[in-house]
Amino acid sequence: MSDLEVRDLTRVFVSGDTPRRAVDGVSFTARSGLLTGFVGANGAGKTTTMRMIMGVLAVTSGEVRFGDEPVTRSHRREFGYMPEERGLYPKQPVLDQLVYLARLRGISASAARREVLEHLDRLGLADRAKDHVEKLSLGNQQRVQIVAATMGQPKVLVLDEPFSGLDPAAVDAMVDLLREHTLRGVPVLFSSHQLDLVERLCERLVILGGGRLLADGTPDGLRAQGVTRHRLVLSGDAGFVRGVPGVLAVDVDGPTALVEVDDDAATTRLLSVALERGAVQEFSPVRPTLAQIYREVTA
Amino acid sequence: MSGTSSAWMLVATREVVVRALNKGFLIGLLVNIVMIGGLIGFTSYLEGRTESFDVAVVAGDQAAVTALESAEETATSDDLDVELNLLRVDDATEAEAALEDEAADAWLSSGAGGSGGWTLSGWREPDGTLTALVESTVRDQVMAERADEAGTTVEELTAGSDVETERLDGNPVDPQIVFVAGFVLAFLFFMGAVGSGTMIAGSVIEEKQSRLVEIIATAVPLRQLLVGKIIGSSVIALAQNLLLAGVGLVGASFTDLSAILPAMSATMLWFVVFFTVGFVAVAALYAVAGSLASRTEDLQYTTSPLMMLLLGVYVLTFSADGVLERVLSYLPPASIVSMPVRVLNGDVLWWEPLVSLLILLVTTLGAVLLSERAYRGALMQTGGRVSWKSAMAAERGTTLGA
Repeated sequence: MSDLEVRDLTRVFVSGDTPRRAVDGVSFTARSGLLTGFVGANGAGKTTTMRMIMGVLAVTSGEVRFGDEPVTRSHRREFGYMPEERGLYPKQPVLDQLVYLARLRGISASAARREVLEHLDRLGLADRAKDHVEKLSLGNQQRVQIVAATMGQPKVLVLDEPFSGLDPAAVDAMVDLLREHTLRGVPVLFSSHQLDLVERLCERLVILGGGRLLADGTPDGLRAQGVTRHRLVLSGDAGFVRGVPGVLAVDVDGPTALVEVDDDAATTRLLSVALERGAVQEFSPVRPTLAQIYREVTA
Repeated sequence: MSGTSSAWMLVATREVVVRALNKGFLIGLLVNIVMIGGLIGFTSYLEGRTESFDVAVVAGDQAAVTALESAEETATSDDLDVELNLLRVDDATEAEAALEDEAADAWLSSGAGGSGGWTLSGWREPDGTLTALVESTVRDQVMAERADEAGTTVEELTAGSDVETERLDGNPVDPQIVFVAGFVLAFLFFMGAVGSGTMIAGSVIEEKQSRLVEIIATAVPLRQLLVGKIIGSSVIALAQNLLLAGVGLVGASFTDLSAILPAMSATMLWFVVFFTVGFVAVAALYAVAGSLASRTEDLQYTTSPLMMLLLGVYVLTFSADGVLERVLSYLPPASIVSMPVRVLNGDVLWWEPLVSLLILLVTTLGAVLLSERAYRGALMQTGGRVSWKSAMAAERGTTLGA
């Protein structure tokens, strides 16, 4: 399977006389077989980017590529997509409309029916197949939507907030489902506000802010790029660290201090001063959480 | 891209099935059929009903008895659906009493007793049908007597006095009926266009509001989605009109209107052809109205110009005549109603409906092309109502259209 690549994607909205660059020169790659998390504040440009990837919205400039060619309508026909706002035909039975959507993608009626029933069964909705969508809870409607997106062995999955509103069991079921697709080699791009979830699931991370790309990489790589802090635990009071050159005291609490050190020389300086004053019980790096990285890059 | 070629068919089928299973739609259709059936049933009941009158005659008034008997004969031979029952009473007082307690509907007196001429009395004004029947019978009877006295016969006296009517345009259809037909066609047009138009607008906004259209658009070109919707709702609108027209025509065959059924059927046929072509344009424009809205609540606003247009056509066409009707019969969408009515009226040359149909076809084509672009432009614009202008601005659109 191939990667999904976004190159210098830009979208300008014109309302009145003031053009607004909702997405501004964004480039990244959602790699084949990996879950790529797409994070950013409200209005960062995630949805606009996803809509451009799917062709729902025309690009102002830049391009979307699949494999080594620009994405076309026939590619997109094989992309699974879950739009930002949830909705299906409220007054049509679940099974009927999923079969309809599958058939629009060119799947035969019998194959569509078989696949839909199998998906519904996996997500615990088999007994609701004949119910009208409006009768389902929001969480269940969302499951129906994910079925709509993942039917027919899509070659790419673009999912806008697929986990919002799901209970933990449903999140796990959904993750299992997505993993199946990455195992087939499908690139999966999904946006989310739940950073802990993204941290737990994603092999890749793309952070947007104000329409621009702020960070792109593996969670570990991003953490490594971030400033690593150290925790220092002494036998006596740690207040002196504030005076050591090249050391920034982030937090001092009795014998414990959280510090950022500029370089190795500063580390040596800090430790020798500390040893002069007594025993050093602990000096260890503190790896930043994703939330911390996110706050740093979006600050 | 296998399967794309039939995407419009899938869409059209869904539109038809969903609509056909819609309770509101079915109830509305049923109400219409019951109304038409009821109207026709009532009319034929009125026509087929035999009216029965009890007429009192005072004993000894032989002239009145004779008059009533020949009136009854006339009623039978002329198929008037009138039945007369003779009620013999002893005297005038008893006759009046019979009228008062409704034992008799009328009292016929020849005035032979010296109280003047013929009188038909009722407790209230005697029934018109009865009066007319008795009047003509008595006149014939009196004339026959006079003629006899004068040594001649009624036939000799009235020979050559009959006036025959004839119509030179060769059309057997009563202008009254043309007017009614115009009304009926305008009504069918309005009902079909607004009903199915609203349906397509609702179906478009349902998909836009829920963003389902974004999923569908990645699977099939929007053009096919639109075509499928137009065809689906046209099929429904046409089927509905055929059903109603069929019920009307079959019903009419049981009434006195059956004489003009052949002429009426030709008109209906023209109407169906015109409606089919014209509705495609109406449906396309309604689809745009749906795509311009951002929520179902906006529909009332975005569809109101169309509603006004259709209402205007409805009001104008069923009342138009003369030059205005001639103009309307070429002017889409009014021509959908006006041209078939003129056909029924018999004042069109053979090529006139064809020319009008051609104009309608061209207009429809233009409307569909325009709508297709606006529909694509507006469908992916979220956040508030979309104007026609911004819908037509291609740069805001989607790449999934064609």
